Amino acid sequence: MAEETFRLPDLGEGLTDAQLVSWRVQEGSTVEVNAPLCEVETAKAVVVIPSPFRGTVRSLHAKPGESVAVGAPLVTITASSDAPADTERTLVGYGPGGPESGVRRRARSVPGAAADNAGDVRAAPFVRQLAREKGVDLATVTGTGPGGRITRADVEGAAVGEGSVSAPASASAAADGDQRISVVGIRKAIARQMVRSVSTIPQFTEFAIFDATRLLAARAKAKASGRPLTPLPYFVAAVVRAVREYPLLNSSWDDTTDEIVVKRAINVGLAVNTKNGLLVPVLKGAGSMDTNAIAERATHLIEGARAGSLGPGEMSGGTITVTNVGASGPVETGTPIINPPECCVVAFGAIRPRPMVVEGQVVARESAWISVSVDHRIVDGALATEFLTRLVSDLERTDA
Amino acid sequence: MADSAQVVREQDPVRSVLRADGSLAGDPRRALGLTPEGFVDLYRKMVSIRRADQEALNLQRQGELGLWGQFLGQEAAHVGATMALEPTDWIFPSYREFGMAMCRGIDPATMLTVFRGLTHGAWDPRKFHFAPLAIPVATQVPHAVGFAMGSRLEGSGEVVLVTFGDGATSAGDWHEAMNFAGVFKAPVIFLCQNNYWAISVPLPRQTAGRIADRAAGYGFPGIRIDGNDVLAVFAATRAAAERARRGDGPYLIEAQTYRMGAHTSSDDPTRYRTAAELEAWSSKDPIARYERWLRAEGLLDQAGVDGIGKEAESTAEKMRTRLREAPAPDPGKAMFDRVYSRPSPGFQQEREEFESSLESPG
Repeated sequence: MAEETFRLPDLGEGLTDAQLVSWRVQEGSTVEVNAPLCEVETAKAVVVIPSPFRGTVRSLHAKPGESVAVGAPLVTITASSDAPADTERTLVGYGPGGPESGVRRRARSVPGAAADNAGDVRAAPFVRQLAREKGVDLATVTGTGPGGRITRADVEGAAVGEGSVSAPASASAAADGDQRISVVGIRKAIARQMVRSVSTIPQFTEFAIFDATRLLAARAKAKASGRPLTPLPYFVAAVVRAVREYPLLNSSWDDTTDEIVVKRAINVGLAVNTKNGLLVPVLKGAGSMDTNAIAERATHLIEGARAGSLGPGEMSGGTITVTNVGASGPVETGTPIINPPECCVVAFGAIRPRPMVVEGQVVARESAWISVSVDHRIVDGALATEFLTRLVSDLERTDA
Repeated sequence: MADSAQVVREQDPVRSVLRADGSLAGDPRRALGLTPEGFVDLYRKMVSIRRADQEALNLQRQGELGLWGQFLGQEAAHVGATMALEPTDWIFPSYREFGMAMCRGIDPATMLTVFRGLTHGAWDPRKFHFAPLAIPVATQVPHAVGFAMGSRLEGSGEVVLVTFGDGATSAGDWHEAMNFAGVFKAPVIFLCQNNYWAISVPLPRQTAGRIADRAAGYGFPGIRIDGNDVLAVFAATRAAAERARRGDGPYLIEAQTYRMGAHTSSDDPTRYRTAAELEAWSSKDPIARYERWLRAEGLLDQAGVDGIGKEAESTAEKMRTRLREAPAPDPGKAMFDRVYSRPSPGFQQEREEFESSLESPG
């Protein structure tokens, strides 16, 4: 029994996404090869997608009405053993297997042609004739065709006073040179989550700098004994300890009952930048792990997020989030936005030498910024300060 | 049944052997020279290619093929024409003749590698006497005529069949080839699978006349037949091939059929044609009517139908498995190996640069 994730294939020569119309299966359904899985609508057609696997549907990755990007997971199926082995993929589309396996995607069309031709009307002779017949001045029409070209529909729309007719499905350029990018997949999910955060959670941020001398010494010692670690596991371990002391930071606000739900499990979301956008895999059960275990699990999650190979179970269920800022470049810190329905997000900056006052003297010390954003419905400034103070002192006391 | 010397006139009906209800319009048994097994084999092949066609569409929907052009509804034209030829006769296909390729013995999985983007031509044309697929409309028509001229000059006795759709008859290539073939009496059969739709352009927007009539303008006969009647296609093709082999020159067959599916997997036919039209053509399904006749003749029973269905199922399954196992091409080889028999130094250098660029990505 192997878990197979079926990704949305390019169903029509260069499409970038499709809208899910309906599912023909549900989680737990058994399916045969070629049994209908779902109906999707692309820019070109409504299409029924048959299952490439025989087995049991484990999870559906989209809801009817949602837009799914080509290459994004559509359905995960626990395949029966006679499912085709996932050998080296040579696909032109996506489908079974992963997008990381030598798949060549078509580049999205790059707008810009219209900008280069500003003031120039681009339209086929047929369209120009139509415009003359209908008394439409092409200079006043916004083209929705490739490169801002004016189409028959644009002219017909202008003739009845509607202006341009159809909304562009993907990246396109308007006559004024502005670019409109259709938002699908991860970008859309991030947008929805961020709007939810700032529109439902009153949040504030506090900042501190900690002295990382001992943490770096601990790292050097671990490295010498053959366990090279990044700073991240130390940060996560410190957050876990601080959360144990201040459990309110590991909670969520229940809108329906106006209650605070303090979570028993400590599941730490790790914000990972990927080429497709920000993903937050979740390190579950961090409360019962030591630094080494955290390091091991975090590496798996981060690599999986970048490769796009994580299951949905590994991307949900977080109770608090850790992120970092300025790992490269001059940025010191930032104001992280809470990942709802969590209460707290902690951002760590880069460790680098800074002037610090030690025993009355200004000296260069390895140090880093920490910023903590919290849900003010749950946590007041005083508690946030205690939590942050605890984090700083913990990290400054890091044991080798 | 085709009268090979006759040019179709205005009042000529569409010729058929089998009526839509599966009854007989004439007696084909003597004229066609088919054994009982031969009759059943036409059925077996139609069932097999229809099932494989459906599987190919599934594979496209599953991301295994970049594109697929279904020929659902056109099985009689594929099977009837191919089986009426000698195996040494040549076929020049367009892009929808997967069924013809299967009838010629080309492994369907191998054929599909073209639509998986693994190769430009998966089979050896000289082995199967089956030319590479022609994606651009009508380009295969002059190729076929030229090849037929070669066959005549060599005295090989090989006849060439070239097939195309109704849309291709508007292309300049088609007219040039028809004219050349008529003047030089090329041993070529022009088989138009008139399926009424050139993507979304219906026949009346494609041509003001009858396609079969056009042959008269080039000085050779044309005939309109029921392209969903496998026996009519077989009879007409056989007659045209005999005529060509005798040295009497080309023949145009307009096989009236209907594309029941979309133009390709990227197309949505519900945007330009009606359900009623589809319904009307469903009643002329080439397999259903032929099956009725075979059963009525006692040539086929339920067990036979079931067995053939199972065979088709297993062919499709094997095709799926073999396609998924098809190896990816070496890009250097695929792009450079078959361009020049003796590559120039500049070309060789290009190849090396290309191959080293693959080794150092980014």
